[in-house]
Amino acid sequence: MTSPTDIGAATQQDGDEGGAPEPFGLGSSPLRSDALPKALGIYPYAADLWAEGLLWGAVLRSPHPHARIKGIDTSAALALPGVHAVVTAADLPPGPDGTPDGAPAGPIVADRPVLAAGVVRHHGEPVAAVAADHPDTARLAVGLIAVEYEPLEAVTDPEQSFTAPPLHPDGNLFRHLPLRCGDPEAVGEIVVEGLYQVGRQDPAPLGAEAGLAVPRPDGGVELHLSSTDPHGDRDRTAACLGLEPDRVRLVVTGVPGATSDREDLSFQVTLALLALRTGRPVKMTLTREESFHTHTSRHPALLRYRHHADAEGTLVKVEAQILLDGGAYADVSAEALAAATAFSAGPYVCPNVFVDAWAVRTNNPPAGQMRGEGALQACFAYESQLDQLAARVGVDPVEIRRRNAMATGDPLPTGQAVTCPAPVAALLEAVAAEPLPALPVDDPDAEWLLPGGPGGAGDPAAVRRGIGYAVGMVHMLGAEGEDEVSTATVRVSGDHATVICAAVDSGQGFATLARQIVQSVLGVSEVYIAPADSDQSIAGPSARGRHTWVSGGAVERAALMVRHQLLQPIAANFGMSVELLQIADGKITSYDGVLGMPVAEALEGKELWATAQCRPHPTEPLDESGQGDAFVSIAFCAMRAVVDVDIELGTVRVVEMTVAQDVGRALNPRQIEDRIEAGVAQGVGLALLEDLRTEGGVLQNPSLTGYRLPTALDTPEVRIAALLEERDVVATFGAKAVSAVPAVVSPAAVAAAVRAATGLPVGRLPIRPEDAVAG
Amino acid sequence: MLPASLDEAVDALAAAPAAVPVAGATDLMEAVNAGRLRPAALIGLGRITELRGWRYEDGGTAVLGAGLTHARMDRPDFAALIPALADAARTAGPPQVRNVGTLGGNIVTAAPAGDTLPVLAALEATVTLARAGATREVPVSHLLTGLDPVRPGELLTWVRVPLLHAPQVFLKATGRSGPARATASVALVLDPARRAVRCAVGAVAPVPLRPLEAEAWVAGCIDWDGSREIDPAATAAFGEYVAAACVPDGYGAEGAWEAVTEGPSAASVRLRRTVSVLARRALGRALK
Ligand SMILES: Cc1cc2nc3c(=O)[nH]c(=O)nc-3n(C[C@H](O)[C@H](O)[C@H](O)COP(=O)(O)OP(=O)(O)OC[C@H]3O[C@@H](n4cnc5c(N)ncnc54)[C@H](O)[C@@H]3O)c2cc1C
Repeated sequence: MTSPTDIGAATQQDGDEGGAPEPFGLGSSPLRSDALPKALGIYPYAADLWAEGLLWGAVLRSPHPHARIKGIDTSAALALPGVHAVVTAADLPPGPDGTPDGAPAGPIVADRPVLAAGVVRHHGEPVAAVAADHPDTARLAVGLIAVEYEPLEAVTDPEQSFTAPPLHPDGNLFRHLPLRCGDPEAVGEIVVEGLYQVGRQDPAPLGAEAGLAVPRPDGGVELHLSSTDPHGDRDRTAACLGLEPDRVRLVVTGVPGATSDREDLSFQVTLALLALRTGRPVKMTLTREESFHTHTSRHPALLRYRHHADAEGTLVKVEAQILLDGGAYADVSAEALAAATAFSAGPYVCPNVFVDAWAVRTNNPPAGQMRGEGALQACFAYESQLDQLAARVGVDPVEIRRRNAMATGDPLPTGQAVTCPAPVAALLEAVAAEPLPALPVDDPDAEWLLPGGPGGAGDPAAVRRGIGYAVGMVHMLGAEGEDEVSTATVRVSGDHATVICAAVDSGQGFATLARQIVQSVLGVSEVYIAPADSDQSIAGPSARGRHTWVSGGAVERAALMVRHQLLQPIAANFGMSVELLQIADGKITSYDGVLGMPVAEALEGKELWATAQCRPHPTEPLDESGQGDAFVSIAFCAMRAVVDVDIELGTVRVVEMTVAQDVGRALNPRQIEDRIEAGVAQGVGLALLEDLRTEGGVLQNPSLTGYRLPTALDTPEVRIAALLEERDVVATFGAKAVSAVPAVVSPAAVAAAVRAATGLPVGRLPIRPEDAVAG
Repeated sequence: MLPASLDEAVDALAAAPAAVPVAGATDLMEAVNAGRLRPAALIGLGRITELRGWRYEDGGTAVLGAGLTHARMDRPDFAALIPALADAARTAGPPQVRNVGTLGGNIVTAAPAGDTLPVLAALEATVTLARAGATREVPVSHLLTGLDPVRPGELLTWVRVPLLHAPQVFLKATGRSGPARATASVALVLDPARRAVRCAVGAVAPVPLRPLEAEAWVAGCIDWDGSREIDPAATAAFGEYVAAACVPDGYGAEGAWEAVTEGPSAASVRLRRTVSVLARRALGRALK
């Protein structure tokens, strides 16, 4: 809901010398409050937590990707001096048949045990846990737990999953989603086909999982964690432990910046269980290797595409088969699959679309939420197809996209009309119009960073430049009928305001935004954001770009209600309507300037507060032919990648990424640019470096040496061509989510550029050096 | 323990044979954190200033302290002396690591991808190992292959490197622009006095490999008396020669050197290509 008064015009005070005032209100660019502490290394992470008399937890993990547990002997571990508890699945509430089932849980389907019961289904799955008086003792004790495994055949090829014996009582198919739109017999003059593969990207949060559990006198437990979904995590933890939700309190602390879910239910339930078992606070910090084992990664995907077009390149039909490897447990695979399917044809108009998509269970590590899950994999495939089509038609890549670009009102192949702004053509034009970076030959004096890095082996004679384009889309908020709701309380007393909202700022900038909203509505500059915990009202998870919309909306409404309470008596006194009063710089003034009263005076020592909810319009599940209004809104982005490739060594350097993004409304331009840079860095990482490899289900590189995150030298210059502000009338402030779509589009753009530089097909991400050798 | 001189350090190690010497700790702490190493005691070498520099010996040899950091070796004065070692030091990890990581630590760790190692192999460097009351001199290659390893109680003190006064090159392939371990590296030095080219390939085997025949062959292709020119075709052939010599057909497979296979595996073809490009470029730059 956009507010009646245009609060976007709030004063942007530029610092004159001396005490430069903080940027203020919506549309300005204040710095995130945790930016400095994090950069200075003084921000307290969850690993820094401490409680008097605490014990240390450690987890025993499966060395096998698939095995039957024939027995667990914990006696030697328990006998070790200093060990206070050893827990296994038998210590969790039993399943419906009275035998231990590991208390399975999950965001959609409860199929993932907290501790493996009877069978392990992926390498690194937790089997048992220990609490001891020293971290070394705890790890030693873990080594003393004797587990007898009977290794079973591991199903690690998702294509084998269909015919393999069931790996879980729920079976191997998480979801099959057929999409049938238009005329199956339609054919085009030009047909292009491709097979595309996406590897396993890991969120690899630099702050590894850590937390502290403190038992409560009432038999409950308090968890201090870097959760991004305090209520969801509380409810699931309570359910796993057989407790009432109000016996579990989740205090959010030390969130290190999450690009996906930080939920690791097993970790937190185990922690709580150990605290309850020992009656002592228990702290646990995972090692880097364990961290790679526990959190979910991006879905590896296999996509087979066939595009039909007429001689001019206008799309006639898209056919696709999409296979997502969900790993051992369901997590959000069904949701990721819906995005991959619904966006399978991309931001283009195509009358006939036929897709079959599957998400399957394997003995690989579980996949889950990660910026644009599903949408990203599809984007790489459809954009690669459009490049092929452009080559066949003989037009340039921008032109082929322009000819097919979707606009507001066009339908998705799911039958849903895209009613939000869809400025696809304008975005493309914006990136194409930007000047190109200089070539080394044109600027020989500059110190050129060659592929391979400074002091590397790069040779200018073997370097080829490539330019590639991509456009993509991703939905915001939960899809297919998920209830999206958030609650916020705003309180004003004296000269400052407080926001109480359980929306976790995971780096997306919600805390900064909430401050800006209250500043704009109430005119107070000092706004305090209370830390999130599960005793507050539900705000939902920090995912799918939802907090700006739902929690931002709740904060705005609550602030408007407080504003009304504050102004109503004054307006009545002066016999004017509230609309004629305004608040700015801590002062209430009337339209005619007669009134000028400080907010603090108007409050008369009172405290005003209001609580409000925001719940966007509902969506519906996709039906058995993939039809339905499944999404609340969609964000678009276009990119141009410029790469240099050493075609003899296959090393690639991304020189520049030019971005035009559909943001609805720029609420904090600097934060948007930061988010775009973050998305580009992650997308470039996926395109060239990041791949959590498995062999026979066993993780090969669970370390930051083996798993290559982009460094500053691998990350390109990001040029923002445009932040298109066409308001989304149904969204809070008209703003769209900004974080996911740059990550969705950049891998496709980089691949297109490498293709242009090398002339090679590039059907696999990440692009390895051997895929780019063309000399 | 933080001895302030070499003698103190050697005595300390003699007194506590279970103690582990530590220089920059960039390898050591990784092993400790991963639980692979639980040192009973540590002997810090950081205060031994004499080991942090270098001196000259007659006969054209530089004697490098084991405590030289990568960052120090990357500086222009050092680079003018032993350019390939400076090149290697420049790429040996991110700045934070190169500021403290040392030459001695790199040698003793003897990781396959240790960047100074192929350079030292190509330079045919020797190292001094010191223990209380005795020192001995060992070729670096003997140390790395385990023919003559560091014995308990010994410290690596000096590294002797000939000063060749001729171009030398170190090239490293990593597959990325940011700092990373080598997937393959090539060190190549010219020794005009002996009319020799010496080359070592790093990271493709547990120790740096010397393609001796390729070295001898290419030395014969160079016009040593003139401008040291070479036929480009010979440069390219040298690359192939080096790659074939250093990467076995079954690279990556167990027992790759012994196995009789039907032609090279895909991994071998890829790695040979990389090594061949590096060797060709290295020779080309050295003779430029
Ligand atoms: C993030 C990161 C990136 C890295 N990247 C690279 C890279 O790209 N290339 C590369 O080559 N290396 C790399 N390294 C490894 C490491 O930095 C180097 O091997 C470095 O040279 C080790 O030196 P150090 O002084 O830190 O050794 P330390 O860790 O102090 O010691 C290593 C070993 O040598 C022993 N030792 C040290 N000095 C002596 C001595 N004088 N006598 C006897 N024993 C001794 C120690 O007991 C220990 O066993 C990297 C390391 C890290 C952490």
